[in-house]
Amino acid sequence: MRLKKLAALSMASVMAVSMTACGGGDKAADKAPAAEAGKETKAAEASKDGKQVLSVSTWDNDTSPQFQAIVDAYMEKNPNVEIKIIDTAADEYNNSLGISLSAAQPDPDIIWVKDMGSMLQMADKKQLLPIDDFIAKDSFDLSIYNGAAEQLKYNDTTYALPYRNDWYVLYYNKDLFDAAGVEYPDNDMTWQEYWDLAAKMTSGEGSAKVYGTHNHTWQALVTNWAVQDGEHTVVEKDYSFLKPWYEATLALQDGGYIQDYATLKTANIHYSSVFKNQQCAMMPMGTWFIATMMQSQTDGETDFNWGVATIPHPENTEAGYTVGALTPVAISAYTDQPDLSWDFLKFAASEEAAEILAEQGVFTGIQTEASLQKIASAENFPEGESNVEALKYTHYVFDRPLDPQIEAIRTPLNEVNEMILIGEYTVDEGIEELNKRVAEIKGW
Amino acid sequence: MLTSKTKRKIRSNVIGYSFILPNLIGYTTFVFIPVIFSFVLSVMKWDGSQAPMEFVGLQNFVDIFSDSLFRGAFMHTVSYALMTVLPTLALSLLLAVLLNSKIKGIAFYRASFFFPYIASTVAVGAVWNMLFQPDFGPVNEFLKFIGIANPPRWVVSTDWAMVAVAVVTVWKYMGYYMIVYLAALQGISSSLYEAASIDGANGWQKLRYITVPMLTPTTFFVLIMLTIQCFKVFDLVYVMTGGGPGNATKTIVNYIYEKAFTSWEFGPASAGAIILFAVVLVITIIQFQGEKKWSKDM
Repeated sequence: MRLKKLAALSMASVMAVSMTACGGGDKAADKAPAAEAGKETKAAEASKDGKQVLSVSTWDNDTSPQFQAIVDAYMEKNPNVEIKIIDTAADEYNNSLGISLSAAQPDPDIIWVKDMGSMLQMADKKQLLPIDDFIAKDSFDLSIYNGAAEQLKYNDTTYALPYRNDWYVLYYNKDLFDAAGVEYPDNDMTWQEYWDLAAKMTSGEGSAKVYGTHNHTWQALVTNWAVQDGEHTVVEKDYSFLKPWYEATLALQDGGYIQDYATLKTANIHYSSVFKNQQCAMMPMGTWFIATMMQSQTDGETDFNWGVATIPHPENTEAGYTVGALTPVAISAYTDQPDLSWDFLKFAASEEAAEILAEQGVFTGIQTEASLQKIASAENFPEGESNVEALKYTHYVFDRPLDPQIEAIRTPLNEVNEMILIGEYTVDEGIEELNKRVAEIKGW
Repeated sequence: MLTSKTKRKIRSNVIGYSFILPNLIGYTTFVFIPVIFSFVLSVMKWDGSQAPMEFVGLQNFVDIFSDSLFRGAFMHTVSYALMTVLPTLALSLLLAVLLNSKIKGIAFYRASFFFPYIASTVAVGAVWNMLFQPDFGPVNEFLKFIGIANPPRWVVSTDWAMVAVAVVTVWKYMGYYMIVYLAALQGISSSLYEAASIDGANGWQKLRYITVPMLTPTTFFVLIMLTIQCFKVFDLVYVMTGGGPGNATKTIVNYIYEKAFTSWEFGPASAGAIILFAVVLVITIIQFQGEKKWSKDM
């Protein structure tokens, strides 16, 4: 009797399974992306007062001015458009966006892409609208981005325009340097010179200890300098090129010139608090931190003097080689407003928007003397020409290459980084594991 | 023509169904259909996009069984369960017996032991991480004080990270199971103890021959719930170690989560979920059989 019931139940569930399977397959097949580039679609969405409604997806919108400033400026220019912001916490952003795209929802129309790797994932899944036709139709000039737009191309298709642009610079605490009677870091230092300086600037004991510099727990704070010369990327068959950089980082840690990884990790310490509390004399970090520091000075949270220098460079390059990443802005393939979306996209990535963002201390894909001057003249930007000079670069490489599997490869990169820096792996063991696991992911 | 009796029966059925309907709709939409769907996904290749799924048979299972990360995650989960289930069971029983007496301020003690259970996992994880801080955390300061020169480095050591997570789990959940045991203890008739006293049984004998056997159904329930909970562990690991150092504390659910929402490979992720389901099912069946035999022997 029980056996019969069990059999009936499993039959029923198998039937249910197969029915769902067929249904699922069919639905997926005939729901091809609704919108096609350049095609006129009737405005599907309109608010009650006849305004056109555009929705944009953002992360941490209330703590960063980078999206709101542009949204406001666009609405001011286009009073007949209302922009709806769909905001998510930064950590959840890719998941939540991925899920709403899986459902082929018409919202959001505009997608700010948090990691370039996720742009490739979305492009592979045909969730982003190719914009080459729009670019051709409007003869939109991509040269204003100094090649960044071309670098964002994937499989010879343009899916996004560069919005934000961030690269690494060296922050330093002027007051601590003055107190130690040491000259400020200049804009042409090798990594070796920087390490020596870090040793020199370390002082004090216990809770009063000032570390010469500070490495946050990201793997990027080691691997970036290994790829800075442009000869390698973090997706390679052989990772032995990382060895000297891990050895140098371990030496800084063993010498007590940086806080050790284990402490930062267990206490979940954010890099901004270390710099703001004057616990480190220097800190390599992305240009996004400029806006944070300016805000902090304005709010009176901090009141020490700080400065910016060019990121140190390897022996085999000159100063001006830096590592960075773009924040692209793209259109969803499921948008019901392709033309309006393109219009917004053009504005968000325009010179006009770049100047608005520069006032906020945010850098964009458009690097002009004017926008640099705008940042330099902003309130609470450190005084002195060398700080502005520090923002210029001659060579720029991505911290992570545009590889469709980069998001999966980040897992072993992070795990091995952690194992080496807490001393569970030797550098060689770590490199061996990276070679093996990345080869598995890439199918080499 | 329906008799009035049948009519009444139908009406009462309709009323009954309408009471369970709201819950049933929610359950079907958010639990039953997704569960069935994950069975479907486990034999499909799908990246979460609108692209059609592709039937790949058992390839997903072959793939994840040959993935050393999955095997590792599986072993980590098993060792976590081994370190967690029995200590929690023993401690919660002990606490329940101790707090079943009529001492002053009993409510306070009960509440104190129950408190960790209602505290947020994120807060618990963050605070314990600080307590376990290897160089100046209170736990290691204490261990050094009592003469252990090289205390474990806890969450930054591949050997000790899982132990740290297990300790926090025991601490957090023993209060809850203590309450379960307390409820069961109240249900044991005091005449049994009185009879035993007359026969000259001491405290230990009463515990061994009356309390523990009478609690068998509860122990069985606690054992199953704890085991299932251990195999499903995600949040505490995520907060305390993030699966690290390296992947030393990556559990099955962490693995499934990464496969699904970092790599967007729903096929292998669902296959992992099915395996998890199978493991929990097998453990439950074994425990059910064991309990039958156990209660017969009593």
